[in-house]
Amino acid sequence: MTTYTICIFTENTIGLLNRITIIFTRRRINIESLTVSETERKGVSRFTIVIKHESREEVEKLVRQIRKIVEVMAVFGYLNDEIVYNEIALFKISTPLGSKSLDVETINKEYKAWVVYWGLDYVVIEKTGNDTEIFEFFAYIKQYDILEFVRSGRVAVGKTEKGLVEYLPESEWAYYL
Amino acid sequence: MEAIASIKPETVPAASVAAIDTVAPTYINGSHALMKALLAEGVDTIFGYPGGAIMPVYDALYDYQDQINHILVRHEQGAGHAAQGYARVTGRAGVCLVTSGPGATNLVTAIADALIDSTPLVCLVGQVGKKLLGTDAFQEADVMGVTMPITKWNYQITDADEVPEILAKAFYIAQSGRPGPVLIDMTKSAQLELMTKPYVYERCQSLVSYRPRRIPKQEQVEAAAALINSAKRPYILVGHGVQIAKAEDELRELAEKTGIPVATTLLGQSTIPTNHPLYVGWLGMHGNYGPNVMTDQADVIIAIGMRFDDRVTGDASKYIKQAKVVHIEIDPSEIDKIIRADAPVVGDAKEVIKALLPLVKPNDHTVWRNEFRKYDAIENETITVPELTNTGGKIRMAEVIDMLSKKTKGEAILVTDVGQHQMMASRYYQFRRPNSLVTSGGMGTMGFALPAAFGAQVGAPDRQVVAVIGDGCFQMTLQELGTIVQNKQPVKAIILNNNFLGMVRQWQQLFHERRYSFVELQNPDFITIARGFGMDGQTCDERSNLSDALDTLLAHDGPFLLEVIVEKEENVFPMVPAGASVSQIRLK
Repeated sequence: MTTYTICIFTENTIGLLNRITIIFTRRRINIESLTVSETERKGVSRFTIVIKHESREEVEKLVRQIRKIVEVMAVFGYLNDEIVYNEIALFKISTPLGSKSLDVETINKEYKAWVVYWGLDYVVIEKTGNDTEIFEFFAYIKQYDILEFVRSGRVAVGKTEKGLVEYLPESEWAYYL
Repeated sequence: MEAIASIKPETVPAASVAAIDTVAPTYINGSHALMKALLAEGVDTIFGYPGGAIMPVYDALYDYQDQINHILVRHEQGAGHAAQGYARVTGRAGVCLVTSGPGATNLVTAIADALIDSTPLVCLVGQVGKKLLGTDAFQEADVMGVTMPITKWNYQITDADEVPEILAKAFYIAQSGRPGPVLIDMTKSAQLELMTKPYVYERCQSLVSYRPRRIPKQEQVEAAAALINSAKRPYILVGHGVQIAKAEDELRELAEKTGIPVATTLLGQSTIPTNHPLYVGWLGMHGNYGPNVMTDQADVIIAIGMRFDDRVTGDASKYIKQAKVVHIEIDPSEIDKIIRADAPVVGDAKEVIKALLPLVKPNDHTVWRNEFRKYDAIENETITVPELTNTGGKIRMAEVIDMLSKKTKGEAILVTDVGQHQMMASRYYQFRRPNSLVTSGGMGTMGFALPAAFGAQVGAPDRQVVAVIGDGCFQMTLQELGTIVQNKQPVKAIILNNNFLGMVRQWQQLFHERRYSFVELQNPDFITIARGFGMDGQTCDERSNLSDALDTLLAHDGPFLLEVIVEKEENVFPMVPAGASVSQIRLK
């Protein structure tokens, strides 16, 4: 299974999320993560969707079907080594009186994670990184009592010299158009 | 502020449309804006059915009766199929107008059908008022959600000011690129409220995010031409896209210059006259023998405006493995979807063929072409001649279509429903003119033919329209007889009645050991039903009467229903069994 990161640039309109996800559903492709935000260009939204698939050909077909949606301006499919990407994870750790104290130095220096909130008997630790780094940290921190754990979807930018919006609206799935 | 039902714009006199245009600047309501937008798009016909949530639009329509012919159907599905028939023969978007909830959901089948067969539709659907959205209000359905996967584009208008721009987009999207259905869901409040700015309509010419490529890239055309010129056994497969692009003349020129044999898909039929020396028949599950078998012997396949549907390819993993493929298609997502293309060309079929013509070399592939004729001879001997030369037993479907074809000289627009009769009509009608077959291909929608024939007749008043319908299909939309009669359209309908759901029965016979599970129909007296609607008709049960019955049908002034009682357990051959490769096509 290969991980693909699909970046979709769209007009910012209601209902588009549905239209895009239907394409994955119909092909029985599971979405690992999905994030949406407006880009540096007003009115243009960027979807970052991560999927795992064994066939590049099928992913290319999927991308072309997404491109077909009227409001979609461009779609880019990436392998992991073609992008810089990260996720954010938040860990809510129980710290009642008398429990094992947190090794904040290790958390900071070794795992590059930060305590972002101190509660009365819990703390919230933020860890930013790729999924491997986040799960390495998870393996470390689980010695404490994890009350809650949440990860964001992946955000990614391509390792190209220009920003992707520079390719809009002229950019296409180059081979075909 | 939410408009309420009592608001009727005083600036819009109900009496005359001309008066509207003289009051300037006019702050018209959403419904009148909709009417004006339709007129700006050249719409002269709407197929529709009124209801609560679309009443303001119908109220506005009352003022526009002189310019827009509204046809009241008997069921919204009929509106959709009629609009499809209209669109298929005119090449322009068919327009449907229905109310919210059930009105909209009744349209769904036709929308899905139009999407898969690339038919331009603009479906205008009422919706509950903006304040009621999402409250499970009376006749509220999430039509946007329901139709999202089966429309090319859909949009919910909640503000009257949006009407001109959204309508312009709707027509542009429906009719450009690969045509398809567009649905506009319009809240009742948007229909009623006044626009806050003067009405201005500009036709849409382009969109930032949607730019279908009509003119192909030169390097793609050159690569395709090189492949065609290098071929020893080239073969052209023609789909519906050629007729959508109105590229029939260019196609013929390409085939004649290069001497390449041409086969069509089901929907591609009538693109090229069936008596053209280069035409070799049609492809697919019940298509002709030669064209199916020979796809496995071609070295270059030139597929134009077709999408390698599974009914054409059979088992796609075994399909044309030996051939290089030139795929000419306006929808880039179709390229490599089923069959990998060695030379894809994205563009409008007409533009692509025009670009190809100077690059392809004149050629003569007589020897290769004659290979097809050997299979024709086998098909003729095994199937065609025996089906057409019966002297005993009941009338066969093939005889009816063959005789109809001769009596209409292949000039009629044939509208068929779905099933055995559809395949027989396609096999035995000898098309002479382009754009003469209207059928439900991709979706295979039973009940399609009667309303679609009506729509086709409205769209092509100068042509003879003949619907060929199965007894099962007819009963799905027979209420549209009322629409045909009320609108005085001279549609000729033929029911081929075998008292069975024939195609299902055939499959049960061949693949389920004759276990005829719920396929026998106890039919009503169709002619009495037709007469009840005010339509003349007659039944033909004897071979000796068939010719006279068809003469009566075709000569009748006005609509007519002819019921022909046909052989009960007749099968359609050739046949590529589902999942088999096309070379495994069966003759019996």
